Amino acid sequence: MKLTPKATLLAAALLAATSLTACAGGSASAGSSAGAQPKLTFIQGVAGDEFYVSMQCGIDAAAKAAGATINTQGPAKFDPTLQKPIVDSVVASQPDAILIAPTDVAAMQAPLKAAAAAGIKVILVDTTVQDPSFAASAIASDNKGGGLEAFKAIKNLSPNGGKVLVISTDPGVSTADARVAGFEEGAKADSTFQYLGVQYSHNDPAEAARLVSAALAKDPDIVGVFAANTFAAEGTATGIRQAGKQNQVKIVGFDAGPAQVKQLKEGIVQALIAQEPASIGTQGVEQALKAIKGEPTEKEIQTGFKQITADNISGDGAKYVYKSSC
Amino acid sequence: MTTTEAVPRTAGTAPEISRAHTLRQVLHVQSFQILLVLMVIFLAFTALAPDVFPTWGNVRQIIQNVSILGVLGIGMTFVIVTSGIDLSVGSNLVFSGVVAAKVMQAMGDSGWGTAIVGILVAVGCGLGWGLLNGVLIAKAKVPPLIVTLGTLGGALGLAQVITGGVDIREVPAVLQDTIGYGNVPGTTWPTISLIAMVLILIFGTVLHRTRFGLYTFAVGSNEESARRVGVKVDRQLISIYALSGGLAGVAGILSLSQYGTTAIAGQSATNLNVIAAVVIGGTSLFGGVGTIFGTVIGLFIPAVLQNGFVIVGIQPFWQQVAVGAVLVLAVYVDQRRRAAAARGRSAKPDGKKKLYGRRSN
Repeated sequence: MKLTPKATLLAAALLAATSLTACAGGSASAGSSAGAQPKLTFIQGVAGDEFYVSMQCGIDAAAKAAGATINTQGPAKFDPTLQKPIVDSVVASQPDAILIAPTDVAAMQAPLKAAAAAGIKVILVDTTVQDPSFAASAIASDNKGGGLEAFKAIKNLSPNGGKVLVISTDPGVSTADARVAGFEEGAKADSTFQYLGVQYSHNDPAEAARLVSAALAKDPDIVGVFAANTFAAEGTATGIRQAGKQNQVKIVGFDAGPAQVKQLKEGIVQALIAQEPASIGTQGVEQALKAIKGEPTEKEIQTGFKQITADNISGDGAKYVYKSSC
Repeated sequence: MTTTEAVPRTAGTAPEISRAHTLRQVLHVQSFQILLVLMVIFLAFTALAPDVFPTWGNVRQIIQNVSILGVLGIGMTFVIVTSGIDLSVGSNLVFSGVVAAKVMQAMGDSGWGTAIVGILVAVGCGLGWGLLNGVLIAKAKVPPLIVTLGTLGGALGLAQVITGGVDIREVPAVLQDTIGYGNVPGTTWPTISLIAMVLILIFGTVLHRTRFGLYTFAVGSNEESARRVGVKVDRQLISIYALSGGLAGVAGILSLSQYGTTAIAGQSATNLNVIAAVVIGGTSLFGGVGTIFGTVIGLFIPAVLQNGFVIVGIQPFWQQVAVGAVLVLAVYVDQRRRAAAARGRSAKPDGKKKLYGRRSN
């Protein structure tokens, strides 16, 4: 067949149309009104982050056990301008409940409030918004406690004190801010440690590595770095390794993705504060189903965390490692 | 099959050919072909999710989310028609939003007075960066790709310097309520989309019905000829990049209204998304051909794809695959059309037009 422009464009249209029909079978079914099967949608903060993948595994399992359908979507970056169109599309598909990790405390406030006003139950998992009163429930780790725990871990590793730095992701992410606040509280209360402040890596490991290299160039005697999330921890470890300061600088990371666990086993990272994303997910489904049935829900749930070190990684720490696929 | 009889170089000028060829003429106009593609995609999703997808509530929010890109697309169409490129629109948007937010925050009050000052400041900042782009491209003869790459970094960097990397989340409530999420009074049509539509109509008319638009096509088609014929090419280029910048400023204040935050870390892929939309819509990267109507259609294709994928429950990554495929095919079709036109023209060798090449002088 001659490839005339008309034929080409018809092919383009068919490609665009069939690329979706071909994939329609491979993922969750669009909710059919088969009886009273509740329809849930989980909107991740960013697709491809092991923390959210582990949460998805927990949610999928809980939804399946309860007989609810579940659809998972997430933006390519942790960015409200990318998450908002997804939220709008999900709201249009009228699920019974949305479980969401909002990517910005201010930008996601209005779209989620509109979703709640449209009769969809909203469960906030992990991050929150400025005014979460419209949500049926908000479930997160005790991030402030986790940050304080991270400081205690650094204190254990460097009992003599010294300079400490925090690498966070983006300002305005409620969970990261809480962790930084917890760490800062611990560091400022302890006079043997000098708190150098927090730097933002924008959820990009390469940026985290650059920031750490620059910080080490400025203050070569840093004794500890707290990396406040998965990508920050990966990048920080890379930066310190590049500078050759693995033995001098102790790293405590937040989140226990497979790459971070590898770094822990290699000795580049000394401790990881692992959250319980699967538990957050499971509880999220529980609260969502309660809200759908009209039963009272718990407005705020805090889950715990576990400190993973080289000692317990093969033992009871192993089950806290995040998954990269279910 | 020849398409050489007075094929309109610029869609939008009246074809001076017999009635019998009109339908074929229309079908060959790329923006119409792209409209067919959009309709096929829309129908496909309607078939897959008939209760949810084709509803006004859903279509309304697609239109609302596309509005900001639409405003950027206008300026980008003008720029690409002159065979230039403007990579800095996303950063310009962020910078304008940041400065406007800072000014409004300093003024303190939350009413329309502050809001109007904010709007003027945003547009002013956008115009400033646009003028800088235009002067460097037209006078200093630096290629547009390089200049706008530089201002992309410069504007974003300055925005981060001004704010310390921390988003400003205080936006006057009037902006958020009326522009960001409000509807035109008495209807359910989003205000932000009305603003975008008005701008599209105004600048569509400018591009296709005024001398300014004609000169734009002339400069894009063959800059040296335009210069010799008496078109003030430098002034034209500066105006066009200033227009693109000014519209980025407008988009900045619209974004501020819609998200309620400056979203400094966002907008990283905005420039490429806008360029893709303009190119899919039939505007040739080599200049001289383009329509605002095509740009509008080109904007809707990725938006409809993403919306449809989310509703049907497909992994969002496939949307990027689909858009990439449509983009490449759109440029391929454009190339075929140009090759056919060049072959059909009389003996004059066209010569390969260099993409974003150094300005002829």
